[in-house]
Amino acid sequence: MTKNDFTFEGRKIAFRDGLTLAAALEDTGERRLRYTAKDGQRGIFCGMGVCQDCLVTVDGHPNQRACMIRAKAGMEVCRQTALPALETAAQPLETATPEVIRVDVAVVGGGAAGLSAAIAAREAGASVVLLDERKTTGGQYYKQTAGDIAALDTQQAEGADLVRSAAASGARILSGTEIWGAFDGPLLLAETEGSAVVVRPKALVVATGAYERPVMVPGWTLPGVMTTGAAQTLWRSYRTTPGKRVLICGSGPLNAQVAVELAKGGCEIAAILDTAPHPGQRLGEAAAMALADPKLSAKGAMLIAALRRRGIPVRHKTRLLRVDQDAERLRAVFEDARGRETAETVDAVCMNDGFQPQNEILRLLGAEMTYDTRYGHLRCTRDRAMATTVPRLFAAGDCAGLGGAPAARIEGTIAGRAAAAFSQNRQTVDATAAENLALARHRRFQDHLWRVYDPGPQDIDDIAPGTMICRCEEITLAEAEDALNAETGHLGTLKRASRIGMGRCQGRYCGPVAARLVARRTGRPIEDFSFFAPRIPIKPVAISVILAVEEVLGGDED
Amino acid sequence: MATKTDVLVVGGGIVGQVAAIEIASSGASTIVVDAGRDSGSTANAGSLHVQMQSRFMRLYPDQVPALEASLPLYCAAVREWDHLDKKYGPFGMVRNGGLMLAETVDQMEFLKAKAEREHRANVDVEILDRDALDEIAPWLGPQIIGAELCRNEGKLDPLAANLRLREEASRLGVQFAQDQITSIDERNGMAVAVGSTDTWHADRIVLAAAWGTGSLLSDLGLAMPTKPEPLHMNITEPCAAHIGHLVQHADRSITLKQLSGGQVVIGGGWPADDRRMARVPGVRCTSLVGNVALAARLVPSIGKVRVLRTWAGINTTIDGASTVGPVPNAKRIIVAVPGDAGYTLGPLVAKMAASFVTGSDQPFDAGAFSPARFAF
Ligand SMILES: Cc1cc2nc3c(=O)[nH]c(=O)nc-3n(C[C@H](O)[C@H](O)[C@H](O)COP(=O)(O)OP(=O)(O)OC[C@H]3O[C@@H](n4cnc5c(N)ncnc54)[C@H](O)[C@@H]3O)c2cc1C
Ligand SMILES: Cc1cc2nc3c(=O)[nH]c(=O)nc-3n(C[C@H](O)[C@H](O)[C@H](O)COP(=O)(O)OP(=O)(O)OC[C@H]3O[C@@H](n4cnc5c(N)ncnc54)[C@H](O)[C@@H]3O)c2cc1C
Ligand code: FES
Repeated sequence: MTKNDFTFEGRKIAFRDGLTLAAALEDTGERRLRYTAKDGQRGIFCGMGVCQDCLVTVDGHPNQRACMIRAKAGMEVCRQTALPALETAAQPLETATPEVIRVDVAVVGGGAAGLSAAIAAREAGASVVLLDERKTTGGQYYKQTAGDIAALDTQQAEGADLVRSAAASGARILSGTEIWGAFDGPLLLAETEGSAVVVRPKALVVATGAYERPVMVPGWTLPGVMTTGAAQTLWRSYRTTPGKRVLICGSGPLNAQVAVELAKGGCEIAAILDTAPHPGQRLGEAAAMALADPKLSAKGAMLIAALRRRGIPVRHKTRLLRVDQDAERLRAVFEDARGRETAETVDAVCMNDGFQPQNEILRLLGAEMTYDTRYGHLRCTRDRAMATTVPRLFAAGDCAGLGGAPAARIEGTIAGRAAAAFSQNRQTVDATAAENLALARHRRFQDHLWRVYDPGPQDIDDIAPGTMICRCEEITLAEAEDALNAETGHLGTLKRASRIGMGRCQGRYCGPVAARLVARRTGRPIEDFSFFAPRIPIKPVAISVILAVEEVLGGDED
Repeated sequence: MATKTDVLVVGGGIVGQVAAIEIASSGASTIVVDAGRDSGSTANAGSLHVQMQSRFMRLYPDQVPALEASLPLYCAAVREWDHLDKKYGPFGMVRNGGLMLAETVDQMEFLKAKAEREHRANVDVEILDRDALDEIAPWLGPQIIGAELCRNEGKLDPLAANLRLREEASRLGVQFAQDQITSIDERNGMAVAVGSTDTWHADRIVLAAAWGTGSLLSDLGLAMPTKPEPLHMNITEPCAAHIGHLVQHADRSITLKQLSGGQVVIGGGWPADDRRMARVPGVRCTSLVGNVALAARLVPSIGKVRVLRTWAGINTTIDGASTVGPVPNAKRIIVAVPGDAGYTLGPLVAKMAASFVTGSDQPFDAGAFSPARFAF
C-alpha cells in the first residue's frame, strides 16, 4: 500500500490509496468537517453524498463533499465555513465541451438493480450507458472496496462478479458521474469531475436506490453521529471504523449486520437499540420468513448467533432520546419500554430507522407514486415490465420502494430487457415465469422480514420539540410547528415560512417529517403531493457545469 | 355560508397584505381571501427595480410609454419599501443601486439614451465606464465595457418581508381565509364576492388578485388584460458577501443579486411552462441553462458556487402600468394590481388602494392608473 499525504487545516494527513477524504480524515479521528450558519459543527452523516454535511474546501474550491472525493497527494483541505469566500478575479470561466451521449438505454444507478439492467439491456442488443455517482459501481448492497483492498465477504465478492459482468457486457460504465437534471425526452444532465455530460437515451431505467432514514433526536447532527450505512461504508469500502466504541439504533436488519461487521473490524458495540419488540414476540413472522426464503433466513439466524457470540447486546423496545457531546466523545441517552433511562458513552452513534427511496428523477419526470403507509414512503406505480406511468421510463430496485437487493437484481434484469425492447421499437417483453416467481418470493421474504422490525418512521409525538428536523437550515420541530400555527396550509407554505427544506440536502431528511407534520395538522392523508415538489437540480451543481451544458444545448430567452 | 366584514381583500400577495395592514390600522374589520395558488409574491426574486428594464422594453415595446410615465411611481415605491422596512423589518433590504451592463457600443448607446430619459423623470442614474465599474464591481466579466447605475435600486429578501408583514396583519386582527372567488358584484349597497366555499359581504372590496383580477371584472364592464406569465428562477447555496448591486443587462434577460443570507439569486424573466395545476413545476431546461450560463459570463466569480434550486412562479402582466382605483360601475370595488416589477410597486399600490377605502390622503396621485382605461 502506498502512503500519501494531504493537508487538513494545514496539518499533514497520511492516507491509503483509494480512500475518500472523509474516510482518510476519519482514519485519523478528525471528524469536524464544516461549520454551520448557527455555529454548529458537522461531519460525515450519510456517507453517500446525500446529506451535504461533509463539505470541505479543497484547494480553494468550496462545497466539496468529503465522502465523495478521493484523497489525492498534495491536496489542501480546509474546514468549510458557513459562507465560503468567492474568487474575486474576474477571469472568464473555462469549460470543457460536454460529451453528448445518444444511446438506446441509459441506466441511472450502478447498484444491484442498475448493473443487472445494464447487462440485460446489452444482452437484448441495445447500446447502453450506465451512470453512477459513486467512484466505484456496486451500489449499497454490493458496495466495493476502494483501491487494492481485498473483498471482505461473499456479499462483496458476489458484487465484484456483477460489476465485472456489467463491464464485460459492453455497456459503457461512467462512474463518478452524478445526474443532476432530468427533463422530458428524456434528457439527462450529469456532472463528472467538474465537467458536464448530456445523455439522450431512447429509454431510461432509473435505479437510484434508497438512502437511510435517521432517528431525529437532540444531538443527531453532532459530528460522530452518522447513519449505520455511513459506518458500513467506512468499514466495507475503506477499512476504517468510526472510533472504538459504537452504539447503533433505529430499527431494521441493516443495524445488526453492520454491528457484526464493525465488531469484526475491531469496534466494541455498546448496544443495538431497536424500537421493535423482541422477535420472540413475533415468532409467527420469523417462521413465515423462514418459509419464504430458507437461505436468507438462515443468513439471518447466523447473524443473530454472531451477535450472541460477540456479546453484542440488543435492546428491544428501546429508543434513543438524545446525544450529548462529552468532551471528545458522545453520550447517548436512551429509554426502554418501561421508561427507564440509560446512557452509554461512545465514539460514534449510528442510526438507521428504515429507508427512503431516491425517487427524485422518477417524480420529476412525472411518474405516478402512491404512499405506502407501512413503510412510510412513496412507491412508484409500475407494470410487470417495470415500466412506470411515463412512456420510456422504467424503474428498478429500491428507488421504486424498498424491496431489498435480491429483488432489485431481478427487477433490474426485467427493466433492462424491457427498456432495450422499447428502444428498438420491439414489443416489450414481460418478466419470465421464473422471474415472477423469484420476485414474489423475495417480496414475501421482505414483507415478513420487516414484520419483526418497525419499518415506518418515528412518530412525530416522539420527537422532542427542540430537535432539529431540518439539518441544513437548522430548524427545530417547535419552529416548524410555529410556522404552521402562523399559516396552516400545505408543505409549500411551511417551507416558505420556516425555510424548512431549502438547504443543500434539498429536503431529503426533513421533507418526509414535514409532510407528516402537515398531514397531522390538516387531517389530510399523505400522498405524492404531500412531499416537497421535486426540483432541479436533483443534487446541487456548480454553475460552471451548467455553463458548459449551455454551450451544447443553448438557452431560449423569450 | 355567508360572511360579513367591513373590508374584504381578494388576493393575499404583497398588495393584499399591505392593503389589509393599512385598512385594519384604520379600525375596519378586514378579511383576506386567497385561492392559495400561484402567488408571484412568494416566488419572486426580491429585486427593487426603478430603471426601465431592458427585457420589458424589448418584449413589450408598445407598453414602454406607460412604463416610462410610471418612473416617478417606481421612485416613490422604493421609498415606501424603505419606510416599511423601518417600521416592520428587517427584510434584509439594501439599496446599493442597480447596474445595467453593456458589452457592446450599441448597448452603451442604448443605455445612454435610456439614462437621459430616466434622468428627466428625476431617477438617480449615471453612466459608468469600465474604469468606474472596476471601482465598485471588479467582479464583473472582462467583456463588460460599461453600465448604467441606478442608485434608487436595491434588493430584499421577499420571504422575510412576506412573513413579517403577515405577522403584522395578524397582530392587527386581519383574518385570513382560503377561497377561490368566482364573481364580484354590488348588491343592495354592499359589495359581494361569491367564492367556491363562501359568499362574502363587505362594505368595500379590494381586488388584489393579480392574474385572477381580469376575469372577475369582465361582468363589471372592464376588459382588464391580466395575464399569468410563468417565469423561471434559480438560487445558489450561500457564499461570502461579494455582490453588492442588483445586476441587469442592456440587451439580455437577467437579474442577479446576492441576498443578505449569502445566496445568489438569478432570474430576470426566462420562461417556464404554464402547467398550473400539474404535479411538478414546469422548469424548462433551456431557461435553466440559458439563464445560469448568462449569469456565469457576466459574473464569472460565481462559477464554483452550486445552484441549489430552481423554480417557476407566476408573474402578472397588464399593459405596462399599474391599475389602482374604484371600478367605474361599482365604486365599492377597488382594483389594486401593480404593473411590471410588481413586488417593488406592491406596497405603494396597496397604500393607494387603501386610501380609496379609508379616505386617507393619497400617497401618490392615482389619476393616471385608474381602471377606467379598460372600460368597454
Ligand atoms: C447506505 C446503505 C447501506 C446498505 N447496506 C445494505 C446491506 O449491507 N445489506 C442489505 O441487505 N441491504 C443494504 N442496503 C439496502 C440496499 O441498498 C438495497 O436493498 C440494494 O442495494 C438496492 O439496490 P439498488 O440497485 O436498488 O440500489 P443501490 O444499491 O443503492 O444503488 C443505487 C445507485 O444509484 C446511484 N445513484 C443514486 N442517485 C444518483 C444520481 N442522481 N446520479 C448518479 N447515480 C446515482 C448510487 O450511487 C448507487 O450506486 C443498504 C442501503 C443503504 C442506503
Ligand atoms: C419568478 C418571478 C420573479 C419576480 N421577480 C420580481 C422582482 O425581483 N422584483 C419585482 O418587483 N417583482 C418581481 N416579480 C413580480 C412580482 O412578484 C409580482 O408582480 C407581485 O408579487 C404581485 O403581487 P400581487 O400581490 O399583486 O399578486 P400575487 O402575489 O401574484 O398574489 C395574487 C394572489 O391572488 C390570488 N388570487 C387570484 N385569483 C383569485 C381569486 N379568483 N380568488 C381568490 N384569490 C385569487 C392568488 O392565489 C394569489 O395568491 C417576479 C415575479 C415572478 C413570477
Ligand atoms: S456525508 Fe457526505 S454527503 Fe452526507
